[in-house]
Amino acid sequence: MKQLKLLALIIIPLGIIIAAMPADKVNHSRLTPGELLQEAGSGVQFISPDIVADMLVRKDPSLRLIDVRTPEEFETYSLPGSINVPLSNLLSEEFSDILNQDAYTNVFYSNGSVYANQAWMITRQLGYENNFVLEGGLNYWFGNILSPESPSQTSPDEEFARYDFRKSAAAALGGGGVVSTDAASPSPKAVKPPVTAKSKKKPSGGC
Amino acid sequence: MTINTSKDKSRKYLNPYLGGVLLGLVLLSANFIAGRGLGASGAIKSVVATTIGTVNKDAIGTMPFMAEYAESHSGNPMKSWLVFEMFGVIVGGFLSGAVAGRLKLKVEHSPKISSRRRLIFALAGGILFGFGSQLGRGCTSGSALSGMAVLSLGGFITMMAIFGTAYALAYFFRKNWI
Amino acid sequence: MGPLAPNEIISENTNFLLAFFIGIAFGWVLESSGFSSSRKLAGIFYGYDAVVLKVFFTAAITAMLGLLFMSAFGWIDLTLVYVNPTYLTSAIVGGVVMGAGFIMGGFCPGTSFCGAAIGKIDAMVFIGGLFIGVYGFAFTYGWWEKLYLARYLGEPKISDKLGLSDGLFGLFMILVALGMFVVAEWAEKKFPREEY
Repeated sequence: MKQLKLLALIIIPLGIIIAAMPADKVNHSRLTPGELLQEAGSGVQFISPDIVADMLVRKDPSLRLIDVRTPEEFETYSLPGSINVPLSNLLSEEFSDILNQDAYTNVFYSNGSVYANQAWMITRQLGYENNFVLEGGLNYWFGNILSPESPSQTSPDEEFARYDFRKSAAAALGGGGVVSTDAASPSPKAVKPPVTAKSKKKPSGGC
Repeated sequence: MTINTSKDKSRKYLNPYLGGVLLGLVLLSANFIAGRGLGASGAIKSVVATTIGTVNKDAIGTMPFMAEYAESHSGNPMKSWLVFEMFGVIVGGFLSGAVAGRLKLKVEHSPKISSRRRLIFALAGGILFGFGSQLGRGCTSGSALSGMAVLSLGGFITMMAIFGTAYALAYFFRKNWI
Repeated sequence: MGPLAPNEIISENTNFLLAFFIGIAFGWVLESSGFSSSRKLAGIFYGYDAVVLKVFFTAAITAMLGLLFMSAFGWIDLTLVYVNPTYLTSAIVGGVVMGAGFIMGGFCPGTSFCGAAIGKIDAMVFIGGLFIGVYGFAFTYGWWEKLYLARYLGEPKISDKLGLSDGLFGLFMILVALGMFVVAEWAEKKFPREEY
């Protein structure tokens, strides 16, 4: 009995302390600068506009477009169904549930990709997942999705396929709107990095 | 409390609460180092898989249960965390027994039954447990103990099932033990 | 930041080597606590020896508290720690079969290795049975496959299912365990057996 009392004396207070501690929400493993640099460099944050267009056309419920420009720009034009989280307010409490979650696929966009990329960097550093950057931003979107270039006669088949897809997507999504370019944003050529679901090292174990 | 009859020269067992704390620390270190808890039945599975593979290379293919296991352990099913751990368990158990003077080749059984009867039940129990551990995805170490430490619902359920069933059947096997 | 292997702080081979050492510690503690004796193990079901209960739950609580505290200090990332998946049907059925095996054989896999290591022949026979059982399962897998894969619930934690925080559930478990220990000690006094 003596040892039992001693044991109880130790673990009950420990239990009370641990019970009183606030629980963390979702996943909170901040990245080290090195990790962030590596991820940013590999381009995993980019999501191809074709994929986004496809999700929009299919009305995929997991897609959530986030416009990181100013409210005025958002008013002027925004992608269908998108919400406005201005970059300057990114870290405000009201948006933390939107940015730190694992139900939706968030896609940041801005006119080019600089601001969207910044938003991604900041949230990624905090350990948030499921956030992506629309490749090429609105500029590329207008130039290539909504008004796709028709391929020349000698282009490979997949270019034709892509052109057809974009034409029908454009029709479904409505025509273009007012565009303004921000400072340093070249619209990148159609380089499509694979959008792989971010699979962190999944814990493994067994019997 | 158990009384140590003085004529056997083995050391007494550890106080169970102390043993529990130590075991908990071992489990904790396993989680910290390897990101997984302890286990045992998985090692048996590895050895069985290896044996099947060695005896008849194609047999693994016909066994879906083993096939997916062999895939995830490409190359050598013996190269698994649990196998290394179990080798350690054998060594550790041996050392502890040696230090405490408990090394003795014998069949341990209640004085009311014969050795033979004990061994028959040991075999039967082993077969059932081996089967059940695969179905339940773990044994008491892997599923129940390690599962509880990480608050796994599945681990908890398995533990309740194991102990509940054992209690329920205890009456029918009481002659073997008391 | 732990866990070390999933975070690739240590290599896979180091992980395996450490597994060996962890196993040594595991085996040592089990044997020292008396888990190499089938009669001690079976004792909890008849009241005369509660070593299984005491060691098991104390260990689970110690490890659980350890993990929660380490996570609170930021020393370990719990999302990278393996949480056993829950397949409801097979968890129960498998547990029932194992329970029967336990009361008949008086061992579980881990303890049987300890017993065998110190020369217990019944433990060795039990291990033989284990191999037969595992092989039998693999051989007849087709019959059980549906059962085996039924009702997959993911990897839920008990605390989530009960709507409690991990810490609060931990405290609850501590209190329940201590209560069980009190009952166990009472039972040990009531149904004594001589040392074995």
